[in-house]
Amino acid sequence: MADTTLGTAPGTRPALFLRNATGLVKAWSTFDAFVYSFWSINLITLGLYGMSYVYTVPDGQLLAGILLFGVLVTFLVITYAMLVSVMPRTGGDYAWQSRVLGGGLGFVLSITGWWFTLFLWAPIYANILVVQFFSPLAYTLGWTGVAMFFTSKTGIFVSCLIVLAFVSIVVTMGMETYARIQKVCFWIGLAGLAVVCGILLFYSQSDFQNAFNREATQLFNAPANAYQGTIDAASKTFGGSSFGTFTFGPVLLLLPWLAFYLLWPNWGATLYGEVRGAKDIRKPFWSMFAGLWVTVAMVAVVVLLINKTIGWNFYQSANAAYWNNLFAVPNAAAPPVPIWPYPVMFAGFLVNNHLFQALLIIVMGLWFFGWAGTLFLSSTRVIFAAAFDRVLPAWAANISAKRRVPYGSLVLMIVPSLVVSAIYAYKPDFTSVFLDATAVLALTFLATVVAAVILPWRRKDLYDASPIAQYKIAGVPVISIVGAITGLFLLYMLYQWSFNPDNLYGTSLQKTPNSVIYFVATYVVAVVVYVIARVVRNRQGIDLRRIHHEIPVE
Amino acid sequence: MPKVFFATDLHGSEVCWKKFLNAAKFYGADVLICGGDMTGKAIVPIVAENGHYTVTLGGERQAVTADQVAEVEGNIRRKGYYPLQMTVERLQELDHDPAKRAECFQEVMLEGVDRWMKLAADKLRGTGIRCFVCPGNDDEMEVDDVIRRAELVELGEGRLVEIEGFAMISTGWSNPTPWKTHREESEEELARRIDAMASQVPDQSHAIFNLHCPPFKSGLDEAPAIDADLRLLHGGRALRPVGSTAVREAIERHQPLLSLHGHIHESKGALKIGKTLSINPGSAYEEGMLMGALIQLDPKKGIKSYQLVNG
Repeated sequence: MADTTLGTAPGTRPALFLRNATGLVKAWSTFDAFVYSFWSINLITLGLYGMSYVYTVPDGQLLAGILLFGVLVTFLVITYAMLVSVMPRTGGDYAWQSRVLGGGLGFVLSITGWWFTLFLWAPIYANILVVQFFSPLAYTLGWTGVAMFFTSKTGIFVSCLIVLAFVSIVVTMGMETYARIQKVCFWIGLAGLAVVCGILLFYSQSDFQNAFNREATQLFNAPANAYQGTIDAASKTFGGSSFGTFTFGPVLLLLPWLAFYLLWPNWGATLYGEVRGAKDIRKPFWSMFAGLWVTVAMVAVVVLLINKTIGWNFYQSANAAYWNNLFAVPNAAAPPVPIWPYPVMFAGFLVNNHLFQALLIIVMGLWFFGWAGTLFLSSTRVIFAAAFDRVLPAWAANISAKRRVPYGSLVLMIVPSLVVSAIYAYKPDFTSVFLDATAVLALTFLATVVAAVILPWRRKDLYDASPIAQYKIAGVPVISIVGAITGLFLLYMLYQWSFNPDNLYGTSLQKTPNSVIYFVATYVVAVVVYVIARVVRNRQGIDLRRIHHEIPVE
Repeated sequence: MPKVFFATDLHGSEVCWKKFLNAAKFYGADVLICGGDMTGKAIVPIVAENGHYTVTLGGERQAVTADQVAEVEGNIRRKGYYPLQMTVERLQELDHDPAKRAECFQEVMLEGVDRWMKLAADKLRGTGIRCFVCPGNDDEMEVDDVIRRAELVELGEGRLVEIEGFAMISTGWSNPTPWKTHREESEEELARRIDAMASQVPDQSHAIFNLHCPPFKSGLDEAPAIDADLRLLHGGRALRPVGSTAVREAIERHQPLLSLHGHIHESKGALKIGKTLSINPGSAYEEGMLMGALIQLDPKKGIKSYQLVNG
């Protein structure tokens, strides 16, 4: 028998009486959800990697850019938190777009972003693993051969295989185990970051110059004064950068670069369908909001410390020299230290002990391993949702009985990722395709935001029954207002990615035909999959159009 | 060829119940099956005081006039809660006395189920549509009697019923949960309960197992992990299989054509366990959305097609 019904605390007036019933649980900790959001916009892995490109906008004041981006993404966070509150569905973007925009459009727009485009992220993750872990660690330990291997084509491909294996293991072990691992990585990673910041805080720029020159010679056999040598090498293609310069236009041009890591506080939104209590808008909002702004604050601290101790012009010169040499920009010269400018490694140089430096890189590597495991987690949920809607075959949502491994969706993610990884490693011509990985996800978000804007009219029933129906400004639903602001922000970035006249982001449509062909192909494939599904299911007596048709109440 | 519409875990949502009744016409179904947990989890007091009524909805306390009470009651029912008008004294009495609160809950729940049965009679009379309801672990035992008395709704619990050449057995009992609800028992007892019905099924290739609790480790039974204090772990993202081993073993041993489940709202899905198609359509009763499964049965093919829908 049921134990009892639930009253209220003494002295308070009850708003409702609850009885003991399945599923009545106490709210999840906002901190736990914050950790997931925090990892999604990882300031070390994606953050430092993405920001290493901002040398392309030398007059763009990075701190102002980060703060502006934080403000604009807050509207994205509010929009997604409101959608979670109205429809806390597993599948996130797919479910919202399907229910509001229609099944076909929802499938095409979300599946290209959450399925096809994530193939591209596997090699991006692999490259980050190389430049932030394998390569600096191997150089620090004096294993030059290993370091060189991981910068070779085969080395990059091996790193891709390691990432895919790691992601598969995480999906297999399940989120509960990985959440524990994430927490350990979170605290140790934070401790590592505190050490990095402490070192950068207490040492001076001249200390860093001496340390850099010493380690450049010891670890990389670079000639004397590699610090100046790096600036000189960069000067062939880069005019220098000052941290104090502020012009509003260039700040706006920074936004598409910052999107590479700061656009994803909503990454876990595809999972909220599994979260009881998600209908309470405060929980998903504060989780994503805190993840975003804690990261923004940390990035600000890191950027200020880089400016103070490493020197802004040197740091940007090192980035320019590395990337321009790698991308074979005309007149580019090879930097004396042939490694991606990793601020963690640079901070480690300030302590003249290679064991300490290696330990610091390993500890900061936990930022990668606590984060990368969720690469396909959201994708598998979207594939599940499409399979349950009968758009994809039923086996796509199959789970093994013994270990609960979603092998169908894993195969659909891993196999294409292997092919894409091989292309990434062995076909440099396709680089622009990978640079577009952010833009396509932004397009998926844009479709969701459009769904949010029209939700109060298109699905009035759902909206009116939701907790957010009470939020209006001058009679206009808040979700439509914040959605419209987010939409304009995303449209601006999509315009810059696609049409920037200087091809600033390496993704302008006119300059990157491979990229255009790839992405048009993915949308065509998505349309073809949906049309085939419609025809096949129709023959089976299943009308895919009726999945989301509302049954009349009266 | 019977076309079945299955939905479950409506938890007192009157909008969902009305949609459930209308689903037959909407989808062209001949048979409606409601899988259990019909009754709501909460009473929202509408307190008469000082010439008006006060009610707290969505955390916001508001005062309404007598004319507005009907609309407020409708909004409350839509979410699956029971609105109940009362005096301040009655409110205090219910707050302080668990026995009276339990008695009040039973009263409003049974009254709600009775109203639903009457709605069903109004909607289904003369249509030839059969409607089965099998209360779930959250439904008190007295609910069965209300359904037995219904004009056009058939009680499924513990029975083998024939549906145009297909045999259906039903139970809303589940394995133990942390909430100690009304119809829980050990896996062994649940196995015996299911076997007692399953052994009467003449042909498993034409059998439907309507078992509220999903099979263990099937993917239809993944619920957010909680601690001993019922607090969600890891931001609610960590999932654990909480289904029944007895249900799984019964499906694996008897291999019915179809098994229908609910219980775990978040674990929507459909999958094959051997020859059996197992379905949990999930539940979104709080939004007034009816999640269901549409299954076209065929005397020769067994299952001609199935589809999970969000009405």
